[in-house]
Amino acid sequence: MSEDFKPKIIYFMCSWCGTGGSETASAHHLYYPENVIPFRVNCTGAISPLHLLRAFVEGADGIVISGCHPGDCHYNDGNFRARRRVASIKSILDSLGLGADRVWFRYVAHGEGKRFADTAAEFNEHIKNLGPNPLKERKET
Amino acid sequence: MKGTTLPVEKDLNQTLIDFLKKGLESGGFDAVLLPSRVPSGDSFAYLLIKNPSLLEEATPLPPVMPVQGAKAVSSLTQYGKTNQKILAAMRPCEIRAATELSKLKQAELENILFLSLDCPGALPLSDYLENPREKDKVFQEALENRKTESMRPVCQVCREFSTTTGDLHVGRWGAEKGRVFLISSSEQGKKIQETMGNQGDQSVDSWESKVKELKEQRLQERAQFHEDLKTKAGGPDKLLEFFNQCINCHNCMRACPVCYCRQCYFDSEAFDLPVDDFLKRAKKKGSLRLPTDTLLFQLGRMSHMVHSCVSCGTCEDACPMDIPVAQLFSLVADQTQKLFQYSPGRNREEPLPFSVYKEEEFHEVETPYRKTYSKGEGKNA
Amino acid sequence: MPKVLKLSQGVQEGTKELLRFLLSEEKVKGIVTLKERSPQQGMGYSLITNPQELPNTRPLYPLMPSNAGKILSHLTLKGPSPQPLAVVAKPCEIRAFIELAKRAQGGVENILLISQTCPGVFPLQMSVNGGLKEKLSSYWKSAQKNEVFSEIRSTCKGCVDFIPQNADIVVSVAGSKDSEKECEIFLNTSKGESFVEGIKGSKAAEKEITNKQTQELLDKRKEGRKKMFDQVEAEKPEIEGLVQIFGRCIGCHGCSHVCPICYCDLCFFDSQQNEHLPQTFERYLDLRGGLRLPPDTVFYHLGRLMHTSISCVGCGMCSDVCPVDIPVSSIFTKVGEAVQKKFQYTPGKDIEEPVPSGTYKEEEFKEIGEQS
Ligand code: SF4
Ligand code: SF4
Ligand code: SF4
Ligand code: SF4
Ligand code: SF4
Ligand code: FES
Repeated sequence: MSEDFKPKIIYFMCSWCGTGGSETASAHHLYYPENVIPFRVNCTGAISPLHLLRAFVEGADGIVISGCHPGDCHYNDGNFRARRRVASIKSILDSLGLGADRVWFRYVAHGEGKRFADTAAEFNEHIKNLGPNPLKERKET
Repeated sequence: MKGTTLPVEKDLNQTLIDFLKKGLESGGFDAVLLPSRVPSGDSFAYLLIKNPSLLEEATPLPPVMPVQGAKAVSSLTQYGKTNQKILAAMRPCEIRAATELSKLKQAELENILFLSLDCPGALPLSDYLENPREKDKVFQEALENRKTESMRPVCQVCREFSTTTGDLHVGRWGAEKGRVFLISSSEQGKKIQETMGNQGDQSVDSWESKVKELKEQRLQERAQFHEDLKTKAGGPDKLLEFFNQCINCHNCMRACPVCYCRQCYFDSEAFDLPVDDFLKRAKKKGSLRLPTDTLLFQLGRMSHMVHSCVSCGTCEDACPMDIPVAQLFSLVADQTQKLFQYSPGRNREEPLPFSVYKEEEFHEVETPYRKTYSKGEGKNA
Repeated sequence: MPKVLKLSQGVQEGTKELLRFLLSEEKVKGIVTLKERSPQQGMGYSLITNPQELPNTRPLYPLMPSNAGKILSHLTLKGPSPQPLAVVAKPCEIRAFIELAKRAQGGVENILLISQTCPGVFPLQMSVNGGLKEKLSSYWKSAQKNEVFSEIRSTCKGCVDFIPQNADIVVSVAGSKDSEKECEIFLNTSKGESFVEGIKGSKAAEKEITNKQTQELLDKRKEGRKKMFDQVEAEKPEIEGLVQIFGRCIGCHGCSHVCPICYCDLCFFDSQQNEHLPQTFERYLDLRGGLRLPPDTVFYHLGRLMHTSISCVGCGMCSDVCPVDIPVSSIFTKVGEAVQKKFQYTPGKDIEEPVPSGTYKEEEFKEIGEQS
C-alpha cells in the first residue's frame, strides 16, 4: 500500500450524540484525521441507503455511521432502524463483492469525545490497509 | 393440506378453464383474473372476466409472463378492495409479488382469491416472440415432459415453484397420470371447493412428498447458480462489465412488480443539475458516462426492493439490452432476505424488514470499540 | 455555401483529430460523444474532459444507445452551459435537441453541434448479440457507395433527413467516396468556422453539402420510407388496428422514457390521474363482461402520439427499446409526418420557429377512456 494514500472517509453522524461526540472531542483537543469528512444528519434513522450508496459509488473510500447508543436515540428507534439499513446495505455490497467492510456502524455518546476520535482514527487506519475503493477509480459507473 | 383431483383430458389449460367456468357458474367466485391471448395472438395480457364464455379464449398457464400478474392486481385494487370476489389465476411468483404489494399498501387483497399452480417456469419473452407458434409447442412439450431447460434461467432455479400462498393450488407433481390435484390451501379455498361440490378432503401426500424432494434439489441448484454468478459478476470490474451495455432505459424498474413508486427517485428532479456539476464530475476521471449513474441506479433499486424481490424474472424479460438483471437481483435478494429471515410473499401478516426492528439483533454490523487507540489520545500522527 | 475543411486522415481518424484539436487547444471544455467502454466492448455516450480519453471515443459509430438530444437536454436543463462544449451526434439527435430547446428543456448556447451526413445506425439488439462488429466494414463500404445498408434500423432506412440542417460542423460520411483516405468537413456556420480556427488541414473552396450522391441516397431513402409506411398501412392503423398492433404492449413505457420528445418527468400516463377506483373497474366489468388489466394500453399510445407527433424526429429509439418488438417508431414517424405536413412544420429545422400552437396540450384527453 502506498504510504501517501489518504483515504476519503465520510463520517455520518446524527446531530445529537454523534455530533456531540465530535464536539466533546474538539473541546478536549482530540484530533482526528482531516481526511475524515463529517456529514451531519438529524438522526441515523434518517440516512437513506441512497446517501450511503452515492457516497460509495462517487468516490468515498469508506463510510462510518455513528448515532446514539441503544436506548438513547432522540427519535426513539432511529438507531435501530439505521442498524437494519446498514445490515441490508452491507449485505448488498457483500453479495456483489464490493467491499462490505468499507462501511462501519458504531455508537458514540455525546460525552465520548475520545471514542469519537478513536473511531475516526481507527477507521482511517482500517481503510488505509484496505486501499482505495476500486469503484472510485472506475470511469464507467 | 387436503384436496381433490381434476382430470386432464385435452391439456392443463382446458382443465383449468373448465374449473374456472364451473366456479363462476356455481358462484364460487364472481370474476376471474387471468392471462389471455392478445388480439394479434402472439402474446398474453391479463383479463378480468365475468362472462364465462370469454373464458374459452383464456390461457391460465401461458408460456411466457409478459406482464407480472401482481401489476394487474395492484392496478385493480390500489385504492381499496373490490366488492366482488375475484379469483386470480397466476404463477406463484406473481402471487407472492401481489402479497408484497399489499404490505406496501399498493394492493388490497381482501376480496382477491388466488389460484396458484406447480409452475413449470416461463419461456424467455424474446425467445417466444421470435416464433410464437413454434414456442407454444416447445412449452407444451416441456410441460408434459417436466423439463425446464428451455425456461428462463431464473425459472430453472426457482425454489418457489410450488409455493401455495393462495387459496387454491393446482398440483402437478405426484398426481396420477391424466389427473392433477386441486388443493385447498386456505379456508376460503376450502369453501370454494364446497360451493362447487368438490370432494375436497382427499389426501395430497404424494404431492407433498414429491414437491419436498424436488425443492431440495432445486435449492442446491440455486445455490450453485448463485455461486457461479458471483464469480462471474462479483467485484467492481466484473459488475461494471455486467452493466456495460445498460442504456438507463429503466424498463427493468417499470416492469418490476415490487418497484411501485409512481415516480422513481432516479427519474426525478434530484438528477437535474447544472452543467458545471456534470463537468466537475467528468474532470475527476477525465470522462463521465452519460446518462449518468448507471450503477447507482441498479444499487439504489436493489436497496429499495431487495427484501421484496420475488425472483420473477420480469425485469430481465423487459431489458432491451439482454442484461440478466433478474439473475443478479435474485442473488442479492437471496442473501439479504436470508439475513433478515424474510421470505417475500410467504405470509401476508409478516412485516416488511424495514418496518420493524428488535433491540437485540444485528450486533454483527456494530463494529466493536477495541480502544486500541487509547495511547495516542486519538491524535493523528 | 459552407466552407470546407479537409483533413488528410480517413473520416474516423479525422473526426477524432478534430475533437483532439478542440479539446487540447481548449476551444471547448468538454465533448459529448460515443465512447467504447472498458473493460469490455459496449458503446455509450460520455462527457470527455481529458484529451487522453479521446483514443477510446468512436464519434461516428453507427449506434444510438441513447438519443443524444435527450442527454444534452438533461445537461442543460438548469441553464445553458457557461463554458463551451462540443457534441458529436447524428442528425436526428441534433434535431431532437433543438425541439427540446424550443420547449425550454435545454439550451443550445455555447454548444458546438457536430454532426454528419448519416448512413444510419444499427438496431441496439445487434450490439447486444455481437453481430454488429462483424458488419462494420461492409457498413462503411456501403456508406461510401451511397447505399442503404440492409441491417440498419428500419426508421433509418426510411429517414430522409440524414443531412443535418442545424449543425455547426458536418462531417461528410454518407456518400463520401474516399472516406477511408480523407475527411471532408463542412463548416456550416460562422460559429463552426471560428472554433476550428488554427487546425492543421487544407481549406477547400466553398461547397454545397447536398450533391449528386446525397440526392441519390435521398431517393433510395424515400423508397424505404414508402415501404415502411405501407407496412404500417397494411396493419390498418385505425383503432381496431392499433388494438392489434399494440395488443402485446406490456406497458413498460420504455418507449416514452427513451423518446427525446417525451420529456415530462412524470408522464401523464404514469400519474395518478390515470389510476382508477376498483368500483370503476367493476362497473365496467358488469357492463362488458371482461376488461384488460392494467388498462389503457391503446389510450397510452394514442396519448403519446398526440403529445409527440408534431416533434417526432424519427430517431427509432422507441422501437429499439421495446421488449416485445412493436414497431413503435414506424407508426410514430408515419403519424408524425402527417401532422407535421398539416402544420408545415419540420421538427428541429429552425430554432426560431415556434412549435405550432394547439399541437401540444398537457391534459387534453382525460376523458377518453379505453379499457380493452
Ligand atoms: S427485481 Fe426483477 S426478479 Fe426481482 S421482483 Fe423485480 S422484476 Fe422480479
Ligand atoms: S428504484 Fe426505488 S424508487 Fe425507483 S421505483 Fe424502484 S423502489 Fe421505487
Ligand atoms: S432494462 Fe436493462 S438496459 Fe434498461 S435500465 Fe434496466 S438493465 Fe439497463
Ligand atoms: S416499449 Fe413496447 S412494451 Fe413498452 S410501453 Fe412501449 S410499446 Fe409497450
Ligand atoms: S417517437 Fe420514437 S422515433 Fe419519434 S422521436 Fe420519439 S423515440 Fe424517436
Ligand atoms: S438521534 Fe442519534 S441516532 Fe437517532
